[in-house]
Amino acid sequence: MNTISPLINYFVSQGVPLETIILILMLPIIATMIAFFRQVVGIKAFGIYTPLIVTFAFLAMGVNGIKYGVIIFVSVIFIGMITRFILKKFRLLYLPRVAITLSVVAFSILTILVFGGTLHRTGLAAVSIFPLLIMIAIVEKFVTAQIEKGSKTAILLAVETLVISLIGYYLASWDILISVIVAYPYLVLFTLPINFVLGKWTGLRFAEYYRFREILKKM
Amino acid sequence: MFNAIKNRKKILGMNARNFSYVRPNNLKKAIRIADNKIVSKRILRKDGIPVPKLIAKISSYEDLENFDWNSLPSGFALKPNSGLGGEGIIVVYGRKKGREDAWVKADRSVVTTKDLKSHIRNVLDGNFSSSGVPDIAFFEERMQLLKLFKPYSYRGIPDIRIIVYNKVPVMAMLRLPTKASGGKANLQQGAVGVGIDLATGITTSAVQGKTKIIEYAPGTRLLLSGIKIPYWKSMLELAVRAQEISGLGFLGADIAIDKEYGPVFLELNARAGLSIQIANLDGLKERLERISGLKIKTAQRGVRVGMNLFGGEVEEEVEEISGKRVIGPVEKVKLIGRKGKEVEVEAKIDTGAGWSSIDSEIAKEIGFEKTVEEYDKLNISYQDIKDLSKKERWNIVKNVPYIDSALIVHSSHGTTYRPMVKVNLFMDKRNVSAKVTIIDRAQLKYPVIIGKRNLGRFLIDVNK
Repeated sequence: MNTISPLINYFVSQGVPLETIILILMLPIIATMIAFFRQVVGIKAFGIYTPLIVTFAFLAMGVNGIKYGVIIFVSVIFIGMITRFILKKFRLLYLPRVAITLSVVAFSILTILVFGGTLHRTGLAAVSIFPLLIMIAIVEKFVTAQIEKGSKTAILLAVETLVISLIGYYLASWDILISVIVAYPYLVLFTLPINFVLGKWTGLRFAEYYRFREILKKM
Repeated sequence: MFNAIKNRKKILGMNARNFSYVRPNNLKKAIRIADNKIVSKRILRKDGIPVPKLIAKISSYEDLENFDWNSLPSGFALKPNSGLGGEGIIVVYGRKKGREDAWVKADRSVVTTKDLKSHIRNVLDGNFSSSGVPDIAFFEERMQLLKLFKPYSYRGIPDIRIIVYNKVPVMAMLRLPTKASGGKANLQQGAVGVGIDLATGITTSAVQGKTKIIEYAPGTRLLLSGIKIPYWKSMLELAVRAQEISGLGFLGADIAIDKEYGPVFLELNARAGLSIQIANLDGLKERLERISGLKIKTAQRGVRVGMNLFGGEVEEEVEEISGKRVIGPVEKVKLIGRKGKEVEVEAKIDTGAGWSSIDSEIAKEIGFEKTVEEYDKLNISYQDIKDLSKKERWNIVKNVPYIDSALIVHSSHGTTYRPMVKVNLFMDKRNVSAKVTIIDRAQLKYPVIIGKRNLGRFLIDVNK
């Protein structure tokens, strides 16, 4: 049987659910992973908040929910993109435009859930509401990125966010990691020195080896 | 592959740029000024840097409602004050004929006052500012495209980005707007970046977008290398002075060239320095490390250091292709005479002269004292020998020690009959064995001239 740290036992005895404790202890690990992807690999995603929250949305959907999570994420981005193209010619101000986009996305997700129901895909409709809301709200990040950096970059960032969130999801639901954290919760503190190193890291990112390949060859 | 591992330390990546250069050198206050186009231009103008003229600014909905659209000139640029990467800029070329409320844009499409108003509202709401904070819109004078750049650029105005660090210009590129970039001089949107040799202001290699290496301007057969940028030195100086004024220790200066006004300063950039490396096919980090810690007092000095340290690529390439050395109109020459005696002097490179000649004093120094003395004793004037045959002339002088031959030379000295000796010329790392004439050049600025016959292995750059 898995060992459980006395600290965790104490938390549980005070009435904090084990599930919650694990998720909270996972947060620094996921955040560090995202920082690593940014500084060392060169994957930007939508900052740190978005991939983190999407990871937790995936986790909240459960083992069977992940595929629905991906479907909903892709749908949100796709619908957000279409809505932007439709709204472009109306020249609306920013917040009303985002509000319309959010509404359209929300209606579309509802449609997808109902459509899933008619196909007897009840798993889709059984997904809890908060992760759904979080996913819908992601569209604002996407719209902002589209305005500031263009559609192509925004789509790339969305794909990066999805990839990082999926890695985060599999990391946080990895049995071995969970049992290690439950047994030795203090290990989570190691993320601090790791982030200090990342915060002072000045080497080339992996993606930059590709970006600068012509110079690397030429010099 | 092996090279890649060795060279990676020369390249400036985003981590190193932000951590080692932007953060310690560009204080928050200075960055805030740089990000505010109206304020930074006002500050630069106050210190005598030429900037485009501000026509009007609109800071609120009220300003917008009260704005007199007839006060605008026929051409102008409308910009968000804190815009990023060239987003939200509308350039207008003139009024639409026969209409009060419409203009023609750079892409020849029509834009109405209503459209402009809506665009300005978007700007005011912060749709183009970095974090969505409310912004100001302003109108400024539109730049006029320089003829030289016309064939290379699609609609917009090209500009020149110069990286300045520690008062030294370190790297530069010409940014050309393209069809892909929608007429904007922004590499991320698909514009072309062309590397520039710092010493000469001549373009070298080019990149389109973020990574695509190209040779010709997109859609043309125009080579992008070898373009000589006008006003080069004064632009480098402008960039360094802007660095001093702005307080940005690590600056990307954007300068355009106006048809009428010459160099005009466009923008201060606090976070530059990545793509420019691909345009130049060279790493920036190595260059920055070479000049960190130098004490540079004046802008002129900084420009000189930059030109000396980071120029010369064009020349090196020319030398490599042609197999010839590039020399200037005056060059140091080592003359090696008899018994290995040598002397180093400044020589005039003279393509108008057939043969090289050296001053008699110099000849004496490299082992030809006897030649000079004996020849002078003969005291031959042109009048004496002009009617003799070649052989008869030679018979008069052939007993002069170490003489190789003699020659009638028509020059600014008048016409003279001169002795010739064999020497070795050592010039810009090349050894040339040559026959040179000896003449008294004491009255002339250079004791030695090098003539055509000894210049076969060299190319002459009159600007050098």
